[in-house]
Amino acid sequence: MKNGTFYVEKASIVHNVDPLSKLLFVFVSVAITYMLSNQPVVSGVLAFTLLLLLLGKVLHNVLPIIGLSLVLIFSIIVVQGFFHPDRSTVWFTIGSVPIYKEGFSYALLLTLRVLNMVCAFGVLILTTKPDDLVQSLIRKGMSPKIGYVLLSVLQILPQMIAATGKITDAQRARGMETEGGLSTRVKSFIPLLTPVVLNSINDTRDRSIALEIRGFNSTSERTFLHETNHFKYGFVIKILLAASLAAVIAWRIFI
Amino acid sequence: MTKKSMWSLKFSTAALVLIPAAIGINYLGKLFAELLRLPLWLDSIGTVLSSMLAGPIIGALTGIINNIIYGFTASPVSFVYAITSGVIGLVVGIMAYRGWIASIGRALVLGLVVGVIAATVSTPLNILFWGGQTGNIWGDALFATMIAHDLPLWFASFADSLAVDVPDKVATVIIGFLIFRNLPKNLTHMYDRRSEIDRL
Repeated sequence: MKNGTFYVEKASIVHNVDPLSKLLFVFVSVAITYMLSNQPVVSGVLAFTLLLLLLGKVLHNVLPIIGLSLVLIFSIIVVQGFFHPDRSTVWFTIGSVPIYKEGFSYALLLTLRVLNMVCAFGVLILTTKPDDLVQSLIRKGMSPKIGYVLLSVLQILPQMIAATGKITDAQRARGMETEGGLSTRVKSFIPLLTPVVLNSINDTRDRSIALEIRGFNSTSERTFLHETNHFKYGFVIKILLAASLAAVIAWRIFI
Repeated sequence: MTKKSMWSLKFSTAALVLIPAAIGINYLGKLFAELLRLPLWLDSIGTVLSSMLAGPIIGALTGIINNIIYGFTASPVSFVYAITSGVIGLVVGIMAYRGWIASIGRALVLGLVVGVIAATVSTPLNILFWGGQTGNIWGDALFATMIAHDLPLWFASFADSLAVDVPDKVATVIIGFLIFRNLPKNLTHMYDRRSEIDRL
């Protein structure tokens, strides 16, 4: 989080797609993989998501994001593979430990779903500037105040993280111990956190006064700094996504 | 002077700008817990604090927006738990308003309730999205042991969530309560919906 968001600035087709279509893509792609328990189809959806990442020139950027979910994926493989409730067919044995076919096929399905979820969100967060996403949502009727809240988090976080270094140093200089037994470390938690909390709550007072002076609570209609919409293919993509979701739902119901 | 309902949707500017600050506090809680190598996450202190200060709606918004921002900046898996975070904010807000932060003993009860509710909300999500695990090694070891003994999946998954959530949420609510109680009155008055003094 120190470097802000995952957004990678590049010129690509995927970067030019409007943010709401990408948001809809994430929803549809995750929904399809969780509605169908057919491994080839789920692999196909994952392959399509990876293709989008490739087109967006961000395929290698998704690796650290997948890395963060590795513990979860590892846990899925181990727990479902060895202990799945419907274990009956022994696939093979390692030493005396039986590996069950049902468990591993379920673990594989879940792993594909989780990978697809992470990569689909990757398409959105790697190729979309948060400002553009929030602006698109406001154009669709989201409250501009909520939009302000969303974007100001990204501004405030780096400031607060910068303050923590100072506070840690200051408290250490006053004799606080950050190393040692568990009880010592627990005791230093409050002196570390309280100054930042006080500072940030104090800042909210100044910030709200500044905002009110600039008409934050004004009820007149808001205008945008950039009126032109430079995104492409929005309508076609939304239709295609809605159609594929409808097709999958129909498939689930009738077949 | 009319007493405002805790469900009022007319947010003051001060309450709205509390949300980003609370999300920052969530992040720093997690950061300090990692720095001090504490065995808990402590990543919802800000949510709890904002609920105590500004009520259930602001608390729930803080929780949901927190996980959306985490999804964008830390790990997309956190989008899934936006509902859990929202419910945590909601529950703390309602119970704090009803007087469950009057003393440390009551705050302890609040922490237990929040932990159990968080586990209850997370369990269906865990079962739906990852077959029942939480991704926490100790909880998942318990989960594996329980399904190996042929206990029902939902029960094992709920025990997994309980083991992970209850200690963390009790600690979080206690820390939130200690900070809240020691905040200077001129700061807490800004959010106090029961009086109009010093309100922005």
